[in-house]
Amino acid sequence: MRETWVVGAASNRFGKMKETGREAATRVSLAAIEASGLSPKDIGYTFVSNCFGIAEHQAHVGPLINGGLGIPEVPSCTIESACSSSSAALHEAFVQVAGGFVDAALVVGAEKLSHLDTLAATSYFATAADYAFETKNGATFPGLYATLASAYLAAHPTTPEMLGAIAVKNHANAARNPHAHFQKEISMATYLSSPIIASPLRLYDCCPFSDGAAAVVVAAKEFVKSPRSEPLVVRASARAGSITEMQDRPDLLGLPASQTAGAKAFRQAHMEPRDIDFAEVHDCFTIAEALALEDLGFFPRGQGARAAMDGLTTRDGKLPVNSSGGLKAKGHPVSATGVSQVVEVFEQFNGLAPGREVPRTQTALTHNVGATGGSCSVHIFSRR
Amino acid sequence: MSSDLLPAAPHTVEEWVRSYEGGGPLRGLRCPACGLITATWGLACPRCAHIGLVEHELPQVGKVVAFTLLTVPGDEFLNDAPYAYVVVELDGGGRITGWMPSVKTVDGLTIGERVRFVSSYRPGVQFARESEAPDAGRAA
Repeated sequence: MRETWVVGAASNRFGKMKETGREAATRVSLAAIEASGLSPKDIGYTFVSNCFGIAEHQAHVGPLINGGLGIPEVPSCTIESACSSSSAALHEAFVQVAGGFVDAALVVGAEKLSHLDTLAATSYFATAADYAFETKNGATFPGLYATLASAYLAAHPTTPEMLGAIAVKNHANAARNPHAHFQKEISMATYLSSPIIASPLRLYDCCPFSDGAAAVVVAAKEFVKSPRSEPLVVRASARAGSITEMQDRPDLLGLPASQTAGAKAFRQAHMEPRDIDFAEVHDCFTIAEALALEDLGFFPRGQGARAAMDGLTTRDGKLPVNSSGGLKAKGHPVSATGVSQVVEVFEQFNGLAPGREVPRTQTALTHNVGATGGSCSVHIFSRR
Repeated sequence: MSSDLLPAAPHTVEEWVRSYEGGGPLRGLRCPACGLITATWGLACPRCAHIGLVEHELPQVGKVVAFTLLTVPGDEFLNDAPYAYVVVELDGGGRITGWMPSVKTVDGLTIGERVRFVSSYRPGVQFARESEAPDAGRAA
């Protein structure tokens, strides 16, 4: 297997886009290629994620992006894995490059849902659950994660302030991230006074519906003679699946796919959780960050929810988590989310995160979940 | 492999979902190899991958193991919010998810509470507290 690097990365500002997903995807792709020092003609394969492109009446967007980049002859492939779509696309790009099939690949994710009302957007999100056995029984995405939260709260002593501290932390980070949807801090009082959406989750426990696009360029070390930026060496690219339906899971106190993908990634990288300097984890809801920290082995069972309140996951903590603001506050444009986590790592490694720097940037982990854990990707990066 | 060699599914997903609306039965499957009982349609056991699940009618009573009160519903439940979305552990094994329109407040339900499947002529698996459930929904 060839040593594989992330050599370029770019993101637009998440929130509400005027342009289409296709335009945004093309724009961030070109920015990522430029940041890499390569040219579009160096790209051997394009992996695209645009999970809800049909909401814009557009499927098969890969050739349109490649055409807009001046490389219509380059093959493209659309990868869908719900909220983990673009990290799944990154995994496929890694396989192509590390396996020697292409020297460089483009990975881009884009989503636009802001032209839909909340009900329509909620319904689109819910299609990633099991329609017959969950959605038809009344489930929504906040509802499914709230059910996990209910099980967690019943098993572990957890106060509202613990989940609130996760929201407050991630908003504080997003306030310093120009890519973020919500560039404002919130107080604990604001969190606690926000309305219940799906008990026990409040409005400020939930990520927003965001538009957005992000892209990275992956290339073989031997192909990149003189990288323009400090590359991210891909130490691990692991994926896992698990039973989608909560009714068939042996317990509701974690996401098995996160546990499996995390363990695989640490084995690939020959690392342990204590070797990671900072992490971007899937926090579509505050409870999801707590579960991720436990599933990945960073904290013991029952301790993930209190980590933010105890200052362990703030930017100056033992393990900075979601310095970008996370899905919670940077935003969650479904198909751009996984790649945007890698953009944050790229910016931290290259000193491009002023105001939200983390103290140690030798290694980093990204964790991206599809829906309520039917899929999961974990990537580990290091400096050269 | 020709289609007549594929393992037969006892029922289609559509038949399962329709049975919920008509008051039952609550269809399920049992794995003869590992004993798993599941309320989710499939051709092989999600735990041990054994092919050859057998039909298994699920009990209609159980206890709540996790729940949420939803105030922002999906589009098929617009006029029903708030309602509870529940994971129920059925007596005799197996879990199933469903909804409870009779629960209107966060403190209106507790984990461990006994519930019973009721006929709703509405989508989904509908439960009510066992003490409130009408006879019409009871298993034969």
